[in-house]
Amino acid sequence: MPRLLRRDTLLRLAAVGLALVMVSSCAVRTDQIARDPNTVRVAVNGWVGYEASAVVLEHILKEEMGYQVQLVRLEEQPSWQALDQGVLDVILENWGHEDLYELYGPEGNDTVVDGGSTGNDGVIGWYMPAYVAEEYPEITTLEGIKEHAEIFRTAETGDKGEFLGGSPGFATQDQGMINAFDLDIEIVYAGSEASQVTEVRRRYANEEPVLFYFNEPQWLQQELDLVKVDFPDHYDGCDADLEFVDCDYPLYDLNKIFRKGFVEDGGDAYRFLDDWHWTNADQNEVAAMIADEGLDPSEAAEIWVEENPDVWREWLPEGYETR
Amino acid sequence: MATVTEPAGDTATGPSGSKDTGSRGAGGWLRGSTVQALLVVVVLVAGYWAARLMGDPSWAGGFPTAIGDRFMAWLDGIYAWVVENRNDSPLFLYFFNYVSVGLGSAVVLINQFLDFLTWSGVTALGLFVSWRFAGWRVALLVLATFAVFALTGLWNESMTTLSLIVTAVFIALLFGVPLGILAGRSEAFYRGLRPLLDFMQIMPAFAYLLPFVLLFGIGNPAAAVVTAVYALPPVARITALAIREVPKGAIEATTSLGSTPWQILTKVQLPLAKRTILLGVNQTIMLAVSMVVIASVIGAGGLGDAIYQALSKVNVGQAFQAGVAIVMLAIAMDRVTGAVGHGTHVPHIPERYRLPVSAIGLAAIITAAATGRLFGLGGWPRDMAVDIADPVNAVYEWIQSEIGDFTAVLGTWLLNGVLSPLSALLTGSPWWLVVLAAAALGWIFAGGRTALVSAAAFVAIGLLGVWDNAMDTLSQVLVASAVTIALGVVLGVLMSRNDVFAAILRPILDAMQTLPPFVYLIPAVALFTIGRVPALAAAVIFALPPVIRLVNDGIRGVPASTIEAAASQGSTKWQLLTKVELPMARGSLLLAVNQGIILVLSMVVMGALVGAGSLGFDVVFGLSQNMLGLGLASGLAIVCLGLFLDRVTQGRRAHRA
Repeated sequence: MPRLLRRDTLLRLAAVGLALVMVSSCAVRTDQIARDPNTVRVAVNGWVGYEASAVVLEHILKEEMGYQVQLVRLEEQPSWQALDQGVLDVILENWGHEDLYELYGPEGNDTVVDGGSTGNDGVIGWYMPAYVAEEYPEITTLEGIKEHAEIFRTAETGDKGEFLGGSPGFATQDQGMINAFDLDIEIVYAGSEASQVTEVRRRYANEEPVLFYFNEPQWLQQELDLVKVDFPDHYDGCDADLEFVDCDYPLYDLNKIFRKGFVEDGGDAYRFLDDWHWTNADQNEVAAMIADEGLDPSEAAEIWVEENPDVWREWLPEGYETR
Repeated sequence: MATVTEPAGDTATGPSGSKDTGSRGAGGWLRGSTVQALLVVVVLVAGYWAARLMGDPSWAGGFPTAIGDRFMAWLDGIYAWVVENRNDSPLFLYFFNYVSVGLGSAVVLINQFLDFLTWSGVTALGLFVSWRFAGWRVALLVLATFAVFALTGLWNESMTTLSLIVTAVFIALLFGVPLGILAGRSEAFYRGLRPLLDFMQIMPAFAYLLPFVLLFGIGNPAAAVVTAVYALPPVARITALAIREVPKGAIEATTSLGSTPWQILTKVQLPLAKRTILLGVNQTIMLAVSMVVIASVIGAGGLGDAIYQALSKVNVGQAFQAGVAIVMLAIAMDRVTGAVGHGTHVPHIPERYRLPVSAIGLAAIITAAATGRLFGLGGWPRDMAVDIADPVNAVYEWIQSEIGDFTAVLGTWLLNGVLSPLSALLTGSPWWLVVLAAAALGWIFAGGRTALVSAAAFVAIGLLGVWDNAMDTLSQVLVASAVTIALGVVLGVLMSRNDVFAAILRPILDAMQTLPPFVYLIPAVALFTIGRVPALAAAVIFALPPVIRLVNDGIRGVPASTIEAAASQGSTKWQLLTKVELPMARGSLLLAVNQGIILVLSMVVMGALVGAGSLGFDVVFGLSQNMLGLGLASGLAIVCLGLFLDRVTQGRRAHRA
């Protein structure tokens, strides 16, 4: 027994000692995770336009500037959290999310910085195939949707029209619009953008009616002929109560979000991403190569980079070659 | 192989438990309880119509949600606090962040080490280790696996996944084995641990992503912890079982020689239990493989991420390609650990050559790595990959155009004829009547204690504030389970009849079980339109393999002499099957039913990704919108449903285990 007791005491001493060392030496913050200072960690949200931006920037950072790039696929909200925790460096294409900026920005945790516009504009809204709009010409208006809601009925929704929701990660006000405009429509949540796109394609092939949440820029817009429903324009505060929204989605000026530490380090990678600015046409060109032509994203990026040096040369910070 | 974790513990203890029901005469017992169960359903339907005819009075509706709403708000409050204080509160600075940073760094470092070795070095290492510990056959399989990684162009992703699995399995064993040993040595500890392990296994993986992301940080740290938590139960259970099964005589003999408890453990119990424990390790690795795919949702990277990315472009072929890499990884890891456990086919090396052989192996690995570095190999070049995505996409489109219309009609019929009415019945009935019905079913199938557990589970669902969604989910689970079991019994019987069919079916079942469900979600939508039906189809595919296997094993286990005796008395084949084989395989059949239902339930959240809605959707929604309250409450409700379904279908033998 004395032997066992001694081992016990030793163990306890060791544990207390270890705890003391841990507490006294360093409090660990989440941004102290092992990382290579030469690696830029980029959040990639799940739509192809975003991916197009990400792979082009990845290509330039890698091939021209000698950085390593880690693309991490995440939903939008978790991406902000990752920036806050210091696990990622940048969100390339942010759609709104004022609430998150309040939480993590200078007014809140002060861990993220608004990096300004990317030059891309974003549209969210209710879409339907062009053949539906041809058959019922007035259906792209609020009155038309009200009148013809029944053509969107399916087995899932019974005697109400069906509205296909998008990914659960997206910002939505659809239920509020249904309530405010008193539409005889029920939302079926597709659960992921992929299954939504699959279903839309299937109905499109059969020329069946379908009404769904969608956005621009989006690669499927190039493949299918879609029409957006016109709701009353967005005005300030109309979406304050998400249970009652009597307006369309706002127009988004897409912006970048940086991790504060990334900005403070002020490396070439940050200055490059800060300078980056391009148009919807640029993004769509790359996105179409990825989604329509089925090119590997990195190949698509390479092609665009080769063809447009005058565009991206301007983003390069001074003295990056000597890094 | 990858997902069956329950039976490992259950089958081992099963035989002792199934005795009492056998003596009562299987047919009579079954018939009796079927009639009783039907009565319960009739009462429920009557209650539903009565409530409807009275115009749905408030006392006959769904469960009031006030308490559940408060609970969710409280959880959301915790969430907000953590987000604000993650880098201030001592709890995080001195504990969670340590774990988080340690694990995240471990994954990164292992990955960098594998990168450093280059593909030639990693291949040499894998080959030598698998040859040394599992024999040359397995080594060939490992080589084939590496070839698949390389040829699919997913080498780097595979290495990331491998690093994550190594880290997660290490943690799972670090905690799982000691827990198992303690549980093996102390009955009280075992009793306390068991419900916890049950809980960990029934809780859908998606539902605990969010809390762990909150505590440990997004990306690799949370992914490692989540995977470890998910993979821990089998090794703990099986270790406990292995320690308990060490012969009492051996322990008494050593005790009488004056050994200390520590000596008994290290010198007697552990060596004797080693093989069984390795079986548990094998199960743990398999679960880890399936979980890393799901962990890609929280930014884990690797092969899971490759699937996830392919799906966002609705590229089924690409997703399938990454799925194949995962299947190969799973099979290789299964065979390696399996061979280590059995100790078969290991090369016979005399004691004095062992050191030299290891030295040669090490030298070979170093040479391979050095050559790799010299030529700047790194990961396998993507240009030298074989693309199977296009042919797979072609096949997929062909199937869709050939049977798409038929399946769509079938789907609509299932929805209007079965799913919707059942959902209406469960959500529309007075909540207390549903609770009573659950209790009655528990009492009929498994006795008084289960009746109490069932009622408690349903009340808990109500208190969580998600009653309506839970009832809708329950209706989906019941229908999917019925389809799974019906198909499973038919295929299982066919498989037991025909050896050729069995030989063809077996590898398909292997692949079905290890293929990540993400891969077949999109084809399910293409065939069955969006909504509850594709979710049902995916759940059936996922849950079918173990059911088929169990039915097949059960029937094949019927003694040949019994069958001969029956045949000699002039039984027809049909009589033989229904009167002799199926009743005698009853234990396996019940286990098959139980497993089928539990696996279907574990697909509820996956189903939400194709429009099944309800509890699963709220779990996904909570995760992607950072709503801890909603996500966790829905996850707990799924656990309650699982508790009810598991206890009821385990029948009277449950309490013996």
